[in-house]
Amino acid sequence: MKKLNKYTILTALSVLLAASPCRANEDEGALESYNRAMFTFNSVADHYVIKPLAKGYRAVTTDFIRERVRNFYANLKEPASVINHTLQGNVGDSGVSAGRFLVNSTLGLLGTFDVASGWGLHNNKTGFDKTLAKWCVPDGPFIILPLIGPSTPRAAVGLAADTVADPTYWASYYTTFSKDWQKYSFYYGLTALGFVSVREANIELLDNLTANSVDPYSTIKSAYIQRRLKIDACAGSEPKPQEASYDFDFDDFED
Amino acid sequence: MKKLFAVFASVLFLSFQAHADINPNKAEAFVKSVTNTGIEELINADVPEAEKKARFTKLFNQDLDLDFIGKFVLGRYWRTATAKQRADFIDVYRKLNIQTWSERFNEFKGKHFEFVGTEKSKSPDQIFVNTQVPMEEGAPAVVKWRVKETDNTLRIVDIIIENVSLAQTSRSEYTSYIQKSPQGIDGLIKDLRAKLK
Repeated sequence: MKKLNKYTILTALSVLLAASPCRANEDEGALESYNRAMFTFNSVADHYVIKPLAKGYRAVTTDFIRERVRNFYANLKEPASVINHTLQGNVGDSGVSAGRFLVNSTLGLLGTFDVASGWGLHNNKTGFDKTLAKWCVPDGPFIILPLIGPSTPRAAVGLAADTVADPTYWASYYTTFSKDWQKYSFYYGLTALGFVSVREANIELLDNLTANSVDPYSTIKSAYIQRRLKIDACAGSEPKPQEASYDFDFDDFED
Repeated sequence: MKKLFAVFASVLFLSFQAHADINPNKAEAFVKSVTNTGIEELINADVPEAEKKARFTKLFNQDLDLDFIGKFVLGRYWRTATAKQRADFIDVYRKLNIQTWSERFNEFKGKHFEFVGTEKSKSPDQIFVNTQVPMEEGAPAVVKWRVKETDNTLRIVDIIIENVSLAQTSRSEYTSYIQKSPQGIDGLIKDLRAKLK
């Protein structure tokens, strides 16, 4: 049943993606009221649950441990990179990711140490979102997802697909627990810790942003959309430099 | 006729001078000196926080063209703003930026900039100086500095970190705010002042 849910979400997102030919831009139209409401919901959840957990996690761990945890989660993303580099036609990069996963999972003690970088196998992650971008699948509008935050339909599909490529997802599926829900409890626990680890790394950034912005929603939306332009390099087309569009505006306001 | 030609030629020469492209080497040397000062006198310096903030304020006011950035950031509202609103906005925007960035020095500890060339801008008096910052994990962060030359003085008018332009982001935040605020620009200035500590 749990597995079915995941595919249902994936299918629903694909439908949403197909129905939204436009690209993410700052003019959201009708979506804005939904996005702002979800942003508020996420902010409240963050304030009362996620941020306190992140602060608690920081209080009981050292920098050294937190780095090991971040490395552990980064290593779990390597199999998705192996697959997606191949889908993007970069077989060499795919080999690098495979090598990194093998070396770091073993000599790097389950990925907690990045031994492979020292061997010249440098981190070069990719995911299904970038594969879709390369295949010229449009990004769709800017959306705020529950708990996950800023996204687009294409980014959300990418995230769901990369999750399925996570080895711990399959490890928990094939472990022989008696009850169905127990199969995934290990995976959900790991996912929750990963979530808290990411939030911990961003405590100062988000505090600074909310303290100094009069409209954090607009600030995050603008930064997210600008960031997306960087990965939106459709194969065979010329990448559009971001500067081109706003050079004009700079001149426009010059006396 | 000869005189007319001379006047015409000098006007042409002057206008050519005014639109002479900004020198890439000069622009790169300028950003290098700004980042070096920032790293040596702020991030790595062993001085009290108050002294760091004073040094940062000086560097910020001297090397960033806040009047120009402020104009861009207010977007179409700059045109309708009164002289007082413009001055008040630039003042509070300057203070808020100094506050925002001086809280974040420590994040740059141990980092350095590698200079990887320049890129032309559509405006002849502006140029992008490209740098990258090696990170502990993953690919280096790409940081572009938009430099503008006014009366032979170089100043930074935007910093683009991993494709995110600080000027563009502020502009989205403020124009969206003004649109929704019943008090318009005055409301924005008032609420920005409330953010100052």
